[in-house]
Amino acid sequence: MSANPSVTGRRARRHIYRLAVAVAALALTAAACTSSDDADGPAAETAGAADAGTSDTAAETTETTTVDTSDDDEETAAPVDTEPIRVGSLLDETGPLNIYGTPMADATRLAIAAINAEGGVLGRQLELVALDSKSDQAEYIAGADQLVAEDLAVVHAGITSASREAIRPIFDEAELLYFYNVLYEGGVCDRNTFVTGVVPTQQMQVLIPWAIENLGPRLYVLAADYNYGQISADWVQEYAAAHGGEVVGEDFFPLDVAEFGTTVSEVQDASPDAVVSLLVGGAHMSFYSQYAAAGVNADIPIVSTTFGLGSEQVALDAASAEGIIVAYPYFEELDTAANAEFVAAWHSEFGSDYPYITDLAAYVWEGWHLWADAVNAAGTLDRDAVIAQLESGVSFDGPKGTVTLDGGSHHLIQPVSLARANTSNGFDVFETFENIPPTFEQDVCDLIASPDTNEQFTP
Amino acid sequence: MSADRLFNLGFDLATTISILALVSIGLAITFGMRGIINLAHGEFIMLGAFATLTGVRQGLNIWLAMALSAAIVGVFGIVVERLLIRWLYARLVDTMLATWGLSLVMVQVVENVYGSVTEGIAVPVGDFSVGAYSMSSYNLVLMASAVGGVVVTYVVMRRTRYGLHARASVQSPTMAESLGVNTSRINMWTFGFGAALAGAAGALLAPLVGVIPTMGQTFVARSFMTVIVGGPAFVAGPVSASGLLGFVENVSTNQFTPVIGQAMLLIAAIVILRFMPQGLTGRRSLR
Amino acid sequence: MNALTARSRSPRADAASGSLRLDAVGAAAAFALFAVLANLVEEFTAFEWTLWATQAILALSLTLVWGQGGIFSLGQAAIYGVGGYTYGFWAINLADNTGETLTAVVAAAAAGTVVAALLGYFMFYGNVTDVYVAIITLATSLVLFAFVNSTSGTAYRIGDAPFGGYNGMTRIPRLTVRLPGAESHELTRTQFFLACIAAALVIAVIIRVIARRPFGRISVALQHNELRTELLGYDVRRHKLLLFTIGGAIAGFAGALFAAWGRFISPPVFSLAPAALVVIWVLVGGRTSVAGAFVGVLVVKGFSSWFGGASGDNEPIVLGLLLIVIVLALPGGIVPSLQRARSWLPSRRRTASESTSSPDELRHIGAAATLHDDDDQPERRIAVQGVTKRFGGLAAVDDVTMAFQPLGVSCLIGPNGAGKSTLLALLSGQLRTTAGSVTLDDHDLTKWHPYRRARSGVGIKLQVASIYKSLTAHENLWLACYAKSHNVESAQVRSSELLDWLGLSDDAERPAGTLSHGQQQWLEIGMVVGGNPRVVLLDEPTAGMTRDETERTAALVTELGKRASVIVVEHDMEFVRRLDVPISVLHMGSLFAQGTFEELSNDERIIDIYLGGRHADAASE
Repeated sequence: MSANPSVTGRRARRHIYRLAVAVAALALTAAACTSSDDADGPAAETAGAADAGTSDTAAETTETTTVDTSDDDEETAAPVDTEPIRVGSLLDETGPLNIYGTPMADATRLAIAAINAEGGVLGRQLELVALDSKSDQAEYIAGADQLVAEDLAVVHAGITSASREAIRPIFDEAELLYFYNVLYEGGVCDRNTFVTGVVPTQQMQVLIPWAIENLGPRLYVLAADYNYGQISADWVQEYAAAHGGEVVGEDFFPLDVAEFGTTVSEVQDASPDAVVSLLVGGAHMSFYSQYAAAGVNADIPIVSTTFGLGSEQVALDAASAEGIIVAYPYFEELDTAANAEFVAAWHSEFGSDYPYITDLAAYVWEGWHLWADAVNAAGTLDRDAVIAQLESGVSFDGPKGTVTLDGGSHHLIQPVSLARANTSNGFDVFETFENIPPTFEQDVCDLIASPDTNEQFTP
Repeated sequence: MSADRLFNLGFDLATTISILALVSIGLAITFGMRGIINLAHGEFIMLGAFATLTGVRQGLNIWLAMALSAAIVGVFGIVVERLLIRWLYARLVDTMLATWGLSLVMVQVVENVYGSVTEGIAVPVGDFSVGAYSMSSYNLVLMASAVGGVVVTYVVMRRTRYGLHARASVQSPTMAESLGVNTSRINMWTFGFGAALAGAAGALLAPLVGVIPTMGQTFVARSFMTVIVGGPAFVAGPVSASGLLGFVENVSTNQFTPVIGQAMLLIAAIVILRFMPQGLTGRRSLR
Repeated sequence: MNALTARSRSPRADAASGSLRLDAVGAAAAFALFAVLANLVEEFTAFEWTLWATQAILALSLTLVWGQGGIFSLGQAAIYGVGGYTYGFWAINLADNTGETLTAVVAAAAAGTVVAALLGYFMFYGNVTDVYVAIITLATSLVLFAFVNSTSGTAYRIGDAPFGGYNGMTRIPRLTVRLPGAESHELTRTQFFLACIAAALVIAVIIRVIARRPFGRISVALQHNELRTELLGYDVRRHKLLLFTIGGAIAGFAGALFAAWGRFISPPVFSLAPAALVVIWVLVGGRTSVAGAFVGVLVVKGFSSWFGGASGDNEPIVLGLLLIVIVLALPGGIVPSLQRARSWLPSRRRTASESTSSPDELRHIGAAATLHDDDDQPERRIAVQGVTKRFGGLAAVDDVTMAFQPLGVSCLIGPNGAGKSTLLALLSGQLRTTAGSVTLDDHDLTKWHPYRRARSGVGIKLQVASIYKSLTAHENLWLACYAKSHNVESAQVRSSELLDWLGLSDDAERPAGTLSHGQQQWLEIGMVVGGNPRVVLLDEPTAGMTRDETERTAALVTELGKRASVIVVEHDMEFVRRLDVPISVLHMGSLFAQGTFEELSNDERIIDIYLGGRHADAASE
């Protein structure tokens, strides 16, 4: 397998329509009287559409372009042919969100290459249609719409929860299988959607008891003022109460706040045993510096379910980052044979000076492999068959260990490790808990029993 | 309220005001003196931070690195002025468009050079305690720098030949020109001076914030708010506005929540401009 | 009449040129083109174009507000967001019952209207202008951003529609119509695209129609010289409020289309980036041009699309450089630059022919008739009682009581700083008194805004000629006449008469800023006369004039004095003597003496404070 997986742009359909003279009235009538289904039926599809290239959302990253001569509908055609299976990805590869998107896009390419190297899916190679959403919500919607038109087997897409909520209905409607491979606030319950990211309950059920036991019962919560922070803060309350702790203070910060002087003082005022940080994004990084500068970090340690998501441990100086306790399923430092192999493959593909392989990269890797395994097991690309296979509880042994898909909730049962930020821009993993379930999602969501559920539950 | 808490509150307030003053005074110079709305101001701050980062990584003493960073951004400002800004005086909105373009270029170039995350630097001084509260000594540096920045600006504008010429060319460019003042040269130095102050702000903030290419966005809106609320006086304006807005934000954050603190800052800006349409130091127009 | 209509057009006001029929044909052609294209391209391409169409409508709202009215709003994107949320709330709650979402679109436009009206009232009635408007609108957006971000809890909902916090509001119904007696029909993507294009084109045509109507001309005037516009008798604050409100309706409407397009709306629409992006579209395309809104969106969006794949991560660099190049090479934006290039030759020829015409003489043909086209207003007596104006501790005008005769000329003289101009400004309403009152007959004007005083017959010519330098002389006068008559036709006729009267007919189509110094002064006097004033305030009408011009001006002032009360502030004692009218002397803010020129020139005290030196100077000129 070459370094580049077989990535193509959308099929290059370049037919010239002979419509030099088109009367406006005709066009109007056509527009008014024909529904889009009529206009773009199979006939229109095989005839192709005039596409001067200008219409391509540019978001598309086209590494190699192959001409796909087959316009057959994959889902109905028997998979006897050896044509590649087309799959999609939609991530923020440029713009401010690319601190998350770049490792995810890299992981996507690596995963597809690896799957293809092992013989592909159903004996066919995967062909990736990768669009860039440029950290722009509207680009997500346009991109999702384009992916739907691309005739794909599956789409792995979305980073922020806002982007997921914007595109999820589009894939639902198109009945295009959708994977969301990101840590998020939890609660999505949708038969067409599978989530490989960790949810707050999984991190909290490891982190909060540890903090109460080892640091003390009094916790102070600092959270980003949006869905993730607010929901996670509720979970801190709940797990603290359940384990004999209490939340003595709680502050929410708009995402662009970069000055935390008042907060540092208020934390000292409350003198908790630990600070639980649910801060997110570039501006919030300042908190850790300012907290350390005031010398408070020595007295009141920080535990976090978000520190490191934006490579905070790299961007901050060692003194500010050191000692912060985090809980994630994956760390680049995980000391297992599978991870060593994964890291080696990553470094050989993207260079050994790669800043840090984030846990987001691991979710993406698992998402693609779970899907590929399920399709191979089902023996078909048919969506319902693949969903049924996924719901049967498929497992995958990845770099972080064994992850198992929880059929009812469409979330992953996965290991969660505790780690301490060290002085060399990384983490020291000190304890791993296997098979941590997404408890909240399991409670509220059973898609096997009631497949028509489609909502995002909040605690 | 105990004495140590009171001191602590005052200390936080002074820090907030100092940071606000630091990030806005450079902009106040270019806006107040030349009416340039520099949307790349946040990126000038970012550049100062990255320059300091690089200097420290090259083994320079951090204070020296900071001073050099201010100078480097100042020189960069002069280059920008010569190549771009000087064609755009008296074209307010065009400067906005051009400097917005410049900011896009700067963010991406820095990201290409440094990557989207890069290692930060440590705060160079320790902390101290008053009563039950531990505070960063570095905040004292920020306060001193803010005062220093204001004093330097005041002295430069009031006590130097350049300052005299600069003020003269603000009040009557043609008159100044006819008296032998090279206004083009003065404009260049003014923009460079403003850029150097932005670079200094970035350098000073580098140990305290996450130094990332997009960090400028965090500062640009609020430094604008501060400068415009302050009005045209380039020293009194930002000083009074950062004092007032910093006070409002700090107190309401303290009393309520950070969200309300931020909202109150914005609402204070709106209300001030509604009733003092030219800002705190502006003359009342018409009536 | 045709000639006059043609004359009133100006080459620079693109938005104001052309005719409704031409616009309609152009819009229909553009629509036909898009209708054809929509059926040629793939559906997802048309889908993305739909987004561009909604953004073009958003850009149009700024073209109207800023390009025409000079209101530099950074709040259009926020109003767009308000429209989007409103559409969401309305459609989610009601679409199931009503089977359509058109009412939700109307509601969104209404919400945009209301928000803009409130914000506009708050700003414009506080005399907030320029960049301060930008900051207030931006700060308002950011407050909304902070608010909507905090609404992730289930408690934040309206009916069945949760705000959704940062994640935004999802599953918003598509645009659905229901004709009476028919099934409800959800628009297909192609139909929705065409609907958006049609809406954008209709709004573009409406904006062009507005631009050609007096409302639009006043907007342009306001943008170029707000003070003069107010002094002509236009209520600029109300006008700006109206303009901003219409812009709000358009932005709210665009937001509804956006929400219906993506079935989604989220708080970042209230952040800095979209606010600035709208400005950039409009600037790139050209803010004075309606077509510019479309071109701007197309170029910026299209550019990032085309170059996105090729340059990858470097797209921001390419886009940034594009912006810089446009500013340097195509100031004013793409469309106006192209138009300039096209109209370069004719306009040069015109300039050449203009240089031969000279401001020879003030023609007195029909002067009396010109001065007042009707006599429905009685003569008015303006007076001040104990007026005082303090600037800080300094009393520029200190307890002055005087009444001016209802007909005839009077002069105000005094050394520099005596308070003459301040007194005129108190009469015109530019300044408000610290104490005392200003009356016109029995009316107490003290608290009146300048436009109300102008409408009651008080006209002022300022010390430094305050005219619309980039509008033509004819347009300048038209604006003055229209302020009085509110009738397009009669304003045309009367402004032409005034052009003749001022001897400016040959220069009617020149930008007023290119007229000679004296001509500009006369033009401003003409504008005052066009308002049919009963009280004429002239602040140094002969400043910078040649002796020849000064003499003509004196004749003009005398002429004016036959029909109105004319108050002249003047330094030129030769001119004052020539007028031979009652003179009041101000000294240090107080009324020092009154009398004829002869009386005063023999008054030792006055010679002491002022007259002697001056008189000698004037005489020796």
